[in-house]
Amino acid sequence: MFSKLPQTGDFEKAALPHLNELYRTAARLLGDGATAEDVVQETYLQAWKSFARFQPGTNCRAWLFKILTNTIHHYRRGWFNLRRVKDSEEILEHTATGAAPIPERMAQQEILRALGRLPSDYRAAVLLADVEEFSYKEIAGLLGVPIGTVMSRLSRGRKLLREQLGELAQSYGIDPDATPDSKPDLTKEGGA
Amino acid sequence: MNTACETTRGHLDAYLSRELPEETRLEVQRHLEICPQCAAELETRARVRTQLQAAVRATPVPVHLEAKIRRAVRRTENAPRPRTGLWAVAAAALVIVCVALVNWLRIESNPEEAILRKTSGRLAVVLNVGLRDHLHCAVFRKYSKQPEAARQMAADLGPGFADLAPLLQAKLTGDFRIVQAHHCDAGGRRYTHFIITGGGKIVSLVLTRRRPNERLTGGIHQAGVDRFQVVGFESHDYLAYVISDLDAQQNLQLAANLAPTVREYLAAHAG
Repeated sequence: MFSKLPQTGDFEKAALPHLNELYRTAARLLGDGATAEDVVQETYLQAWKSFARFQPGTNCRAWLFKILTNTIHHYRRGWFNLRRVKDSEEILEHTATGAAPIPERMAQQEILRALGRLPSDYRAAVLLADVEEFSYKEIAGLLGVPIGTVMSRLSRGRKLLREQLGELAQSYGIDPDATPDSKPDLTKEGGA
Repeated sequence: MNTACETTRGHLDAYLSRELPEETRLEVQRHLEICPQCAAELETRARVRTQLQAAVRATPVPVHLEAKIRRAVRRTENAPRPRTGLWAVAAAALVIVCVALVNWLRIESNPEEAILRKTSGRLAVVLNVGLRDHLHCAVFRKYSKQPEAARQMAADLGPGFADLAPLLQAKLTGDFRIVQAHHCDAGGRRYTHFIITGGGKIVSLVLTRRRPNERLTGGIHQAGVDRFQVVGFESHDYLAYVISDLDAQQNLQLAANLAPTVREYLAAHAG
């Protein structure tokens, strides 16, 4: 009785848990929530088409990110037309400013703005390494470039980001939940 | 800033990403132990990374997207669905409802899980590791409020950690006192747990072996959830946590007082 449904079920079970990460990466790379939505949907359709070739037990997350980076690449080259052409940057802006406390939220907006100003190659490397925590080798595979290129993009991207955030990182606490004025430095006393 | 500092700075990001060859990693680590400036720089970089992660992860995902993708995927199935499919869907829905209900009942009847559940998203998973043990042993389990005798404590800790208790006690100020120390198992891992009380507050110092995918690099991390404050840091092969119902500043100060002793002890007993 499960002649047709189980396969979609298997696919959804394996692939949909990664939806949020894929969408957030796409949104940061494309700078536009609506385009990200379409690119992620296209990613899932491509993944579903090749799901028969996907080996269960291998890294589903890396496989999906590989399809995502290909899809974004194709989209940027205009190889496929997305149904939606409307620029809805303001929609993303609007939904991004939820009801959270203002200082924390503002810091996050600043960070995202700084990230958005990085050249897109650098931005992709930084997102995949520092947010999605892929290894350098995996990133080389995802972006289809040599590992040395990944390292130089990371090094420049991180430096640029740090420069832009220099002031900000000092003025906000050790993480968004922390109090800003309490930072005893444990490492300083370590060798005593 | 000398040459050693410059070399170290060049490696700091790869160090945070655990991408350095073992030999280089050790060199960087040795330098960080003697150079407060580079250690502070590492902390700054770790902080930027944590904040970047939090900012990207705060990007709201459209609520309708998952359903839209499910529909799109299912539309590509050309063959007509068998009629029994509907029954299968109904049966699956019923199972999901039952499972959800059972989980909900279980979570609601277990205050530990209820608090841990609240922390998801707010508190990095790795900080939750320490909070779990504090809730498990110090908050929701009854233990004797009478301080354990030193001999009993040493026996409970075994040779590996027996000498640590008096060293920690020496660093505690005010009327804070170690009342219990033991090893315990919770959530599938082993913890070394010191329960400290003072001024009506309960503080836990929790040590547990770091798993390969767990990181608390770059100095100290802090978060608050419910009435608890959690401070976490990495030391050698261990994750160390100070958790309490003190306020954020006091908890951080207490952690700062204990951290050097913990680090020295783990360094001396590492391997």
